[in-house]
Amino acid sequence: MSAETPSVEGRQDRLLWIAGLVLVLLGLAVMMSGIAPGLSGPILIVIEVGIFFLLYALLVLPVNVQFGVSGLVNFGPVLWFGIGGYATAMLASTGSYQGQTFGLPWPFAVLVGVVLAVLVGLLLGVTTLQLRGDFLAVVTLASAEIFYGIVEKVGGFGGATGIGGVPRIFEAGSFPMTDVAVTFILAGIVVFVYALAQRITFSPYGRVLKAIRSDEDATEALGKPTFRYKILVFVYGAIIMGLAGSLLALYNGAVSPGFITLDVTVLVWIGMLIGGAGSNRGAVFGLAIVMGLQLFTRFANDAFPVSQSEFAALRLMIVGLLLVVIIRFRPSGIWGNPEEREVL
Amino acid sequence: MGVIQSVIFGLQLGSYIAIAAVGFTLIYGVVNFINFAYGEYMTIGAFMTFITVNQWGLPAIVGLFIALVVTAGLGWIVSRIVFVPMQGTGAIPMLMASIGLGMFLRNFYQLIAGGEVRFVDIGASQFEFDVLGGFFISTQHILIIASAFIIFALIHVLLTRTQAGIAMRATSQNELLARASGIRTKQVRRNVWIVASALAGVSGFLIGTTTFVSPLTGFNQILLVLAAAILGGAGSAYGAFIGAYIIAFVITFTTAYLPTEISGLGETLAFLVLIIVLLVRPSGLADVEVEA
Repeated sequence: MSAETPSVEGRQDRLLWIAGLVLVLLGLAVMMSGIAPGLSGPILIVIEVGIFFLLYALLVLPVNVQFGVSGLVNFGPVLWFGIGGYATAMLASTGSYQGQTFGLPWPFAVLVGVVLAVLVGLLLGVTTLQLRGDFLAVVTLASAEIFYGIVEKVGGFGGATGIGGVPRIFEAGSFPMTDVAVTFILAGIVVFVYALAQRITFSPYGRVLKAIRSDEDATEALGKPTFRYKILVFVYGAIIMGLAGSLLALYNGAVSPGFITLDVTVLVWIGMLIGGAGSNRGAVFGLAIVMGLQLFTRFANDAFPVSQSEFAALRLMIVGLLLVVIIRFRPSGIWGNPEEREVL
Repeated sequence: MGVIQSVIFGLQLGSYIAIAAVGFTLIYGVVNFINFAYGEYMTIGAFMTFITVNQWGLPAIVGLFIALVVTAGLGWIVSRIVFVPMQGTGAIPMLMASIGLGMFLRNFYQLIAGGEVRFVDIGASQFEFDVLGGFFISTQHILIIASAFIIFALIHVLLTRTQAGIAMRATSQNELLARASGIRTKQVRRNVWIVASALAGVSGFLIGTTTFVSPLTGFNQILLVLAAAILGGAGSAYGAFIGAYIIAFVITFTTAYLPTEISGLGETLAFLVLIIVLLVRPSGLADVEVEA
């Protein structure tokens, strides 16, 4: 909408696909080349935070299409992240210190992970999408907690240690180069998903989603099967978020409950709201701000006479305050379109 | 462990969850949003346990009243700053703001108090019984369970016998109609903030005596409180009470009786109960009318 006319969109679309492809190829090239330059400590920290920023970007984009565009309050993105991650890890792992593993080929493991995520998305969607908005939030939140409880407490999921021994498919010649390659490949995937999210948002399908957000009954009265639209949004989201979990497992070589806490959901939501729910670019930029603050604290800590944990607390206070202030004074977020935030 | 012992533990857990769940559900009913920062209000109460009992050496009962008053005051001030100006923006923005507020407060506590865990001993005496499989009960259990029942009685009287309480119920059911009937809904909301904050203080104080005091004390309980309130039927104080005890019994009985591999799943099962109830009966146990 707004300034973007269809033709510009089409060109932007193509550009994005090419950019994504180039990034993935670059990553693969770094992986294959086997070059191993020494990287200094600070750069490694930037890359490490960057990788998690990219993984979480794969959560924030679907959440934005679900909430920002369609008005569905999915408060459990970490559920699908966890399902994808754990399914992939358990099926592909060739031997973990704890937990049940199967040692199957990793592409199959990723496929099963995504399919499971979709099935859970369908199940939750069919049963709860008719509830009012904040109840949907409660059900998705509770489901994520249930999943967390199961993997942490039930035998076979590796307990607090999690599942290790997952093949690291992004292994390059040396340790820092692996991270560099992963950064490029993930960046490419994020660009693809961003292009998809833009497609959905500005397509006729996306306009129906926005109509559902504004007034579901009116949309239904106009002959749109709103329930089916909402289910589809949940399924699309499940695919991407499940895939993000799979990528975490295959990059990290392990998954554990620590990766799928409530904090991830909160981080993703805060990032989206600060940037501007409804705008895919805003959601990603907002996440970048929150993760950027995290990075900033890692470096800036030395310059301040406080301990590391105190500094972390200070950073989270700023993030919390920022969220409250933005919701209060600019509910559409920094990059959001104020005219679109009429209802929610 | 005998059945009676599990019942006592269930009543203990249920009692402090219930007190908080009533406050939580009053906010939900009257101010109309899910307040994720409510756990941080409870944490204030928990710190009051440490301050009054450990540092000032006061008896627990006195500490309880101090916690009630202090949390009511601080909770009201925080709500006045954050939520009152937002009134009317809708349920979802306020929910989001409460997430931000919770994060701010948690880390603020962390900053001023440090992350360490503090234990409080209120000097409870313990009575052991050899009947019915053997069980014990301490003055601490009695304090917690009795507090919950006294509060339940007080809330019942407030909601049914006083002008302020009846106004709360009216506002909770239909705000426009309440205003049209001459109820000052703004004042009702203020009253609810004060009552709910006071309840958070009491609940937090009691949690402080049983488990420990840390910046995360309240946050660790918020999902259970939320589950109890929604299970009972969002907005219904009576439902919240029943919901809290159901959740508490699910947790204590799974911990006590299920095989060890899955006995840690108490909270997980409690959330499962919540989801099932929401699916088959979105109005909760108390059958609260839910606007779609």
